[in-house]
Amino acid sequence: MNAVLVSLTLALSLATGQFAPQQAASDPLAPAREARVQVLAKKLRCAVCQGLSVADSPSSMARAQLDKVRELVSDGKTDEEIVDYFVARYGEWVLLEPRAEGFNWFVWLGPVVLVLGGLFVILRQRQPLPEGAVATEAATAPSPSSPPAPSTDDADPYLQAVRRELER
Amino acid sequence: MKRWRIPAAFAVVAAALLFVLFKGFGRNPHEVPFMLKGAPAPDFVLKPLGGGEAVKLSDLKGRPVVLNFWASWCGPCKYEHPVLEWGAREMGSQAVFMGVVFEDTEENALDFLRRMGASFPQLMDERSRMAVDYGVAGVPETYFIDAQGTIRGKHVGPIDPQTLAARVKELSQPAPASTAEAARQR
Repeated sequence: MNAVLVSLTLALSLATGQFAPQQAASDPLAPAREARVQVLAKKLRCAVCQGLSVADSPSSMARAQLDKVRELVSDGKTDEEIVDYFVARYGEWVLLEPRAEGFNWFVWLGPVVLVLGGLFVILRQRQPLPEGAVATEAATAPSPSSPPAPSTDDADPYLQAVRRELER
Repeated sequence: MKRWRIPAAFAVVAAALLFVLFKGFGRNPHEVPFMLKGAPAPDFVLKPLGGGEAVKLSDLKGRPVVLNFWASWCGPCKYEHPVLEWGAREMGSQAVFMGVVFEDTEENALDFLRRMGASFPQLMDERSRMAVDYGVAGVPETYFIDAQGTIRGKHVGPIDPQTLAARVKELSQPAPASTAEAARQR
């Protein structure tokens, strides 16, 4: 039922022209320059689709922005100037990768710092096990469900304390 | 001595995270920033819809301009259009009202205007060059440019008569100090 309604609505909206007519993009430039256009377009956020780059989005706005990149590249503008052109209009929001400067260093270095901190904590916690403990661990580990094997290590103060508690 | 170090490190990390979240929650992620407020309006030369002599922004200097970006395929533009028609009729003496057709065919735009009324001039923006120049992030959007050719701001989404009247009135007043302008975003 829902599928029928959805397809009817879609058909109706197509029939009444509720869509942006697809317009042809400008012609690609010479291969070397076009590669630059594509690299730049990958870095820029499409203005209407939020999460997609200008190069990846099929929307007409992205196409217009891609055309603009092409125009600026063929005008002989540098990459820096082209990025600045878009930042001047849409702010740093338009950059899919934040610039590595000022407060943005937090975004770049934060994850590295967190991973390093985590590693540090793990290394601190992992103290080398004594020889005997490794042997008992290996013996008991394969059958965790079986009743605990009588410990051979009567000297263990913890085990002695537990036994005393149980016998009380 | 060492015991407090790790909790302190965690406290620093948590405070930093809270700061980032606080900054992030302060703004709507769907809102595209607009940086051209207070900047000189980029010049344009556009053909009017239906043919005629090209219109240049520099020719209009000395008069405030209200620029509306729209398209026939855009739903909200349909119920915004009567407001603009009213604005152009009532306030046409205070500002030049102009429409810019965004990502649409001439035929569709003309058909829209036949049905909805056309009381102010419309321009065709080939390849959306001008729209990108102006930092448009969707339709409808209305730009307010003062007599000196400075962008005073833009209204995103369909505009209502009160806002339109207030913004047009602002255009005829001298530009407020830049700090006051920044404080009153949009």
